[in-house]
Amino acid sequence: MTRFLLWAASAYLVLAATAASAQTPGVAADQILVGIVGPISGPVAFLGLAGRDGATLAFKEINAAGGVNGRKIQMQFEDDAHSPVRALASVKKLVEQDKVFMVMSVGGSNATGGTLGYLKERGTPLYVTTASAPEVTYPFARNLFRGASTESGRFGEVYAEFLATHYKAKKIVMISSRDEYSRNESEFTVAKLKAWFNIEPESRLEFNNGDKDFTSQLIATQRANPDVIAVFGNPPEAAIMLKQARDLGLKQPFFVGSAIVDSGVISAAKGAAEGVKGFVSLPVLPGSKHPSMQKWEAAYRREYPNLPAGRPSTFDVIAYGEAYVVAEGLRRAGPQPTQESFIRALEGMQNYAVGPIASPRSFTAKHHIGNLTLSPMEVRGGSWEPVQWSSTRPTEILKRYE
Amino acid sequence: MLGATIYLQLAIAGLAIGAVYALVALAIVIPYKASGVLNFGQGELATLGAYAALVLASFQVPYGVAFALVLLGGAVFGMLIERLLIRPIANAPAFTVVIATFAIGLAIKSAISVRWGDTVFSVEGPFGDAPLLFAGLRANPTSLWIVLCTVAVTVLLTLFFRYARTGKAMRAVALNPEAATLMGIRVHATYRWAWAISAAIGALAGLLVAPVVGVNPEIGQLIMRGLVAAVLGGFTSIAGAVVGGLAVGLIETFASIAVGSTFKNLVPFIVLLLLLALRPHGLFGAREVHRV
Repeated sequence: MTRFLLWAASAYLVLAATAASAQTPGVAADQILVGIVGPISGPVAFLGLAGRDGATLAFKEINAAGGVNGRKIQMQFEDDAHSPVRALASVKKLVEQDKVFMVMSVGGSNATGGTLGYLKERGTPLYVTTASAPEVTYPFARNLFRGASTESGRFGEVYAEFLATHYKAKKIVMISSRDEYSRNESEFTVAKLKAWFNIEPESRLEFNNGDKDFTSQLIATQRANPDVIAVFGNPPEAAIMLKQARDLGLKQPFFVGSAIVDSGVISAAKGAAEGVKGFVSLPVLPGSKHPSMQKWEAAYRREYPNLPAGRPSTFDVIAYGEAYVVAEGLRRAGPQPTQESFIRALEGMQNYAVGPIASPRSFTAKHHIGNLTLSPMEVRGGSWEPVQWSSTRPTEILKRYE
Repeated sequence: MLGATIYLQLAIAGLAIGAVYALVALAIVIPYKASGVLNFGQGELATLGAYAALVLASFQVPYGVAFALVLLGGAVFGMLIERLLIRPIANAPAFTVVIATFAIGLAIKSAISVRWGDTVFSVEGPFGDAPLLFAGLRANPTSLWIVLCTVAVTVLLTLFFRYARTGKAMRAVALNPEAATLMGIRVHATYRWAWAISAAIGALAGLLVAPVVGVNPEIGQLIMRGLVAAVLGGFTSIAGAVVGGLAVGLIETFASIAVGSTFKNLVPFIVLLLLLALRPHGLFGAREVHRV
């Protein structure tokens, strides 16, 4: 009788566990299906290609080490072509057709923004790695998380403090691309310069992505004679601007937005990029002489021997580190993970990082901004190297979550 | 109020970028003039020229040799496009041919992206990076080199179409292919040469602009300005394409001072629309007269 009861109890537990797994999308007895969405075509394909490859390698390593609580992580990738409409279609496919456990976004703000309403409604967990648009994490939604790329508002806080204290700048000219990401960075920086340091930019100028000549903006900058020139945009335009600034004889230091802190601007501007400073959400960048990064890059190149020049980029490293954060969340969600237990697991995560190449992630039940730390970098000797400077002002962006 | 020095500095910048637009416009006009084909892949031929310069630079090939190889390679590539891709569909509707040129451009861009990604690369100009200083003005020597090359190409093309046997044959084919055939001109050979010259000029534009804007897959966007320049100039005129290109460069540069950078890209298109309203055949184009 006792044996029968034990057998029955065991059978019940197995059945109950199987039923729980069957009810949770993407969870099978031997695997968990994770959907990834990002652009591998269109103007920012570099984001999605790097994101896909970085996450693929991380999951491969995790699976080789036994997976998560006995399950392998299976990855399903969809292209969003940097379009909100396409991103929504891709996410719907992942959720409704492929029935993924969660979605990881490795794309930009425009495309990611198109998926937020749908995912909030469905309750499927979304982990955003690179998009900095504030609406990912504000207003707060329980199933939306932000990893490496902190909110634009935090960029503005750190940039303003750096411009005012590191450069001790009183006169600043800001030159910004007209895309949403650059405008956000620029707007938040201007707001914090005014609020914290009572500094108004001497002049604010704009350019279009794809422009090849910046003489008019640089002449206007020259006439303003600023202490520092802050540029927000993308590496191709920034590289041309840096070279033209040198040609026109501008001597002022350049500060650049986070999207420009990339090896691309160095390979294009060469010597004209020396001395340029900016912030990035990683403690160390690809191409650096830091031993941990050199070791990681060597392993990455072994996995992807035919990478195009300029890769691995910042976005390869970010996606690699963020995939480990997702896997850690799955591990902490326990042997029978549900979307709810995964969310709770992430909310309990404090200072988790896969290694010295990644910045640590911390979430709480009140806010899902995983990273508030930005590292200052400077182009020295042809690579981005860390600058000794730390932000001392506490962030104000968490106040609205209290 | 801006001083004369600043106006001159802006003019130098406008002429430098305008010279590149002029070369792209020339590359568009020549095959159109000879065969009636509008090559929407022309921008990517410029991209190809820039990447060819990058590859040759990585092998330490001297600039002069790279210059010649890019021109020659561009010409051969243009001949191959004409022979293998355009001629087989030459009798298809014009729209089909235009779409084919568009596809050629996309294929080139995709192949480049697969190999090199979106990274922007730097190549050295022929005269280094140190700016030239004169009368309070500063100019990148590569920018002046681009203007000089554009002038040289314009003069050579003008002489070619006026005096060379092949050039005169092209003009004859452009006027009336049937009559040209009856006069013993090999029309297909003429088309082949037109594509060779056009692709060589496109590749040259890429080679020249690479040290200024960096080597990247988006160089092909130059085609939009090249098309505006070609239409401004009348679409069938060598001088018109060059004047159109320089005008677009100058208009864009001064527009950014006058109306701000936000709207500067619109101004050349507005000027184009106004000009076409007043002169439907562009600055140098002539109205077609059909004798009956």
